[in-house]
Amino acid sequence: MNLDDALQTFIVEAGELLEQMEEALLRIEQTPDDADTINAIFRAAHTIKGSAGLFGFDHVVAFTHVAESVLDRVRSDELRITSELVAIFLSVRDHLGALIAHIADGKEPDDDTHRTSAELVTKLRVYLGPPAPASSQALVPAKQNGTVETQAGDGVGTDNWHISLRFAPDVLRNGMDPLSFIRYLTTFGKIVHIVTVVDAVPRLAELDPEASYLGYEVAFHTDADKTAIEGAFEFVRNDARIRILPPHAKVADYKRLIDELPQEELRLGEILILCGTLTRTELNAALSHQTALADETLSPIGEVLVDQKLVQPQVVAAALEKQKQVKEHKATESGLIRVNAEKLDVHINLIGELIIASAGASLIAQHTAMPELLEASARLSRLVEEVRDSALTLRMVEIGATFNRFQRVVRDVSVDLGKDIRLEISGADTDLDKTVVEKIGDPLTHLVRNSMDHGIEPVEVRLASGKPAHGTVRLNAYHDSGSIVIEVADDGGGLSRERILAKAIERGLAKPDQQLSDQEIHELIFEPGFSTVEKVSNLSGRGVGMDVVKRNITALRGTVEIDSTEGVGTTMRIRLPLTLAIIDGFLVGVGGSTFVVPLDMVVECVELSAEETAASQGRDHLDLRGEVLPFIRLKQLFDIPDPPPADIDFAADDTFDNSNAPQRSGLPSTLLTAEGAAALARDPELAFLLHPVKRENVVVVQYAGRRTGLVVDELMGEFQTVIRPLGEVFSGIDGISGFTILGSGNVALILDVPGLVRRVAGREGRRNIQATTYAMAE
Amino acid sequence: MTKNIMIVDDSASLRQVVSIALKGAGYDVVEAFDGKDALTKLDGRKLHLIVSDVNMPNMDGISFVKAAKQLAAYKFTPVIMLTTEAGDAKKQEGQAAGAKAWVVKPFQPAQMLTAVSKLVLP
Amino acid sequence: METKCAVTRIPIEGELTIFTAATERLHLLDAFESGNEVEVDLSQVSEIDSAGIQLMVAAKREAVTRNTSLRFTGHSPAVFDVVELCDLAGHLGDPMLITARS
Repeated sequence: MNLDDALQTFIVEAGELLEQMEEALLRIEQTPDDADTINAIFRAAHTIKGSAGLFGFDHVVAFTHVAESVLDRVRSDELRITSELVAIFLSVRDHLGALIAHIADGKEPDDDTHRTSAELVTKLRVYLGPPAPASSQALVPAKQNGTVETQAGDGVGTDNWHISLRFAPDVLRNGMDPLSFIRYLTTFGKIVHIVTVVDAVPRLAELDPEASYLGYEVAFHTDADKTAIEGAFEFVRNDARIRILPPHAKVADYKRLIDELPQEELRLGEILILCGTLTRTELNAALSHQTALADETLSPIGEVLVDQKLVQPQVVAAALEKQKQVKEHKATESGLIRVNAEKLDVHINLIGELIIASAGASLIAQHTAMPELLEASARLSRLVEEVRDSALTLRMVEIGATFNRFQRVVRDVSVDLGKDIRLEISGADTDLDKTVVEKIGDPLTHLVRNSMDHGIEPVEVRLASGKPAHGTVRLNAYHDSGSIVIEVADDGGGLSRERILAKAIERGLAKPDQQLSDQEIHELIFEPGFSTVEKVSNLSGRGVGMDVVKRNITALRGTVEIDSTEGVGTTMRIRLPLTLAIIDGFLVGVGGSTFVVPLDMVVECVELSAEETAASQGRDHLDLRGEVLPFIRLKQLFDIPDPPPADIDFAADDTFDNSNAPQRSGLPSTLLTAEGAAALARDPELAFLLHPVKRENVVVVQYAGRRTGLVVDELMGEFQTVIRPLGEVFSGIDGISGFTILGSGNVALILDVPGLVRRVAGREGRRNIQATTYAMAE
Repeated sequence: MTKNIMIVDDSASLRQVVSIALKGAGYDVVEAFDGKDALTKLDGRKLHLIVSDVNMPNMDGISFVKAAKQLAAYKFTPVIMLTTEAGDAKKQEGQAAGAKAWVVKPFQPAQMLTAVSKLVLP
Repeated sequence: METKCAVTRIPIEGELTIFTAATERLHLLDAFESGNEVEVDLSQVSEIDSAGIQLMVAAKREAVTRNTSLRFTGHSPAVFDVVELCDLAGHLGDPMLITARS
């Protein structure tokens, strides 16, 4: 731990505080009297100021100080929150962000930054009222000039300071040990002589052991000034009578000191002599001075006597200020440790390697078939699985912080567009992988802006169609079978089928005679270069956008779909994998290849009977318990050759004992005569009986509410899969989203289930439209 | 004997810098991020000084000091409260709660060290 | 507490501070109640503050009032330092063994 680390902490922390500040600022407009929210804003400024001061960032302190002062007036009800004030503070927040960014980059603030600071300070000062004369200096003890006048003539001889201390009885109970202040004196000077005044200490039987009875008279030699000596006692100022006399102070001052402690008069005089502060002559002079002093207006000795009334005007001020109990903002429980994201990534990668290694070990264990080893390896696998799960949760963060950022976006964009748009957030506690969170921000921003710009209608249009004047954009998130779904919904005009189609035809993206489903028309807005709004606004009308959004989301192995009803609104639904790193996979064999299906997308596995297999030949859907299930033959899709024909020993066929093994069917040749075989070969319906036909398995997968069957040869069970991205060369392969390394060291491709489901859905969709079109034509 | 100081503040960077300064001077430092956290760390260990912020989430500094003063082991432990110039009302409240020493934020590490050494030398 | 040859010896261990002053006061008063001379062993005192110092002064006063004697012995380095700082050695009057200090 060094100061550089602390500085990094400061930068991260300031970022978080500014985020909280912004969030609170956006909330405060709706609830201008909420003390918690006001306090949250105040605390953000306050904490940044405090920490910036520690690092010596004086420009940050000075700037934040003005903001904090205005906020303090709000906090004490002297000032009301208005939207102008919120706007100023949003700028303050942005400017603070810029100041912190400079610090993070190790740069000095430039002229522009200083100018912005000055401008904002000017705006803020308006809210501070007329400046109280030297308000900030007023709190500093009035007279602190380090030089002390030494007056010849009636000054005493000593070169030492004299410090006289008497403490209030409660000082010890308050945790203040007079000895600690005396010890502190020794850090910048020398105690020439000290007399502990024990006169007030009673006998033990009468002693209140927690009350303070001791006093001190100290002759002190130092080069430091009076401020420094006073400073030593700053914490007991209210709990003690402290007199500090400079070297060569006037005899009259000592007289006064002695007069103040009448019960100690004689003894104190002796003590002063004992301390070497006064000579016997000086003491006598002081004592005989009494009458002369009586009505004399005392010469200015304020600078040498620590006058308690002078040094604590703030106490008086505070008494006038009305006390206001400010409830503390109940922020989330924060028993958190900050961890470097890179370290976490290294950790997750290592766990990935661990999973592969453990799979390898368990494979070897299976080969050796040693029960103990199998048991140990099973235990190991289970633990590795738990470690993986817990490691993955480390990367999970709530989406709420990302959502909250949009409060500001919505506010700013509403102002720019001249529309009244509110943001509603739900599902903020839904969590997802940190990497996904980081990458989803931009696409989400685009969708939100798009909804505000193109979705929400102008006020007149809204009122005419009976909608509330203010539009609403909703951000929602939830988990759904291994994915996180993020919705951006608006209650605007919805997508116009005709306008999209017309534009698409104009742009050559669709043909006039093409039959398209609503879904397909909606999808057109994701085509590159598509833009339907006639008036190009500065926000989202640049023609870049939706296609980029889609590309970004696809890169995250996600999908985006649109639900839109004209006149009612549009919902953009982004579906993303929960994590990018490791998944539970289901291993399947096709020909000689192995594939991984993400387990959380697998609904069930069905074995096709020979008849069903035969019945499904040449078709692309099958009857699953009365429901139509479209399917894909992976073997055809990826053009996988059959494995070299196995030398099948039919007599040893134990198909029925080993249901997991590749199952082969066919009639034992011993039962067939050559004629019989020839007869069968002639009959196309029965020909398959001649050739051993593999019984097929169907893995039913579900994505975004759609089911699809994947026809495979072999089911090989669950397997933890560390996803590795495909290299550039393979990234174009349809239906594959990555690869993984099996425990055996072989490579297995990870199926892109969303892609496959979409492919099937597209096929089905076209068929339905054709059907409808035919039906209408009839 | 090493002197133990607890620093209570919701700002991690502030705690870090103060810790670095105090440890460098020879103190042992216990950190707590708010009043609640600090209370759980008042587990009987000897503390020579508590330095606490006022405005913190979950439990503020004043409630924390009040609670700490109820515990026999910390009844008389000196407390430095961190405050703003503007916080006079809070200051009175804090004085009543038993916090007699105040340091104004923002401060430099050296200023904190000075304040601490007035109450406890390392 | 052991009583022997009309001297009651009591040790003070650990802190002699505001936190322990009330308890130690009662121990000392008990010791005086024995009617014997009192000897307080300070060799195991790890820490002492103003409350501790004034307890020592008050105990001395108690002894004077009771017309008995109280001795502090074996001043630990912590006690030694504070007695020196306050220049109270003369007032307390007990010989302090000046040991090699770190």
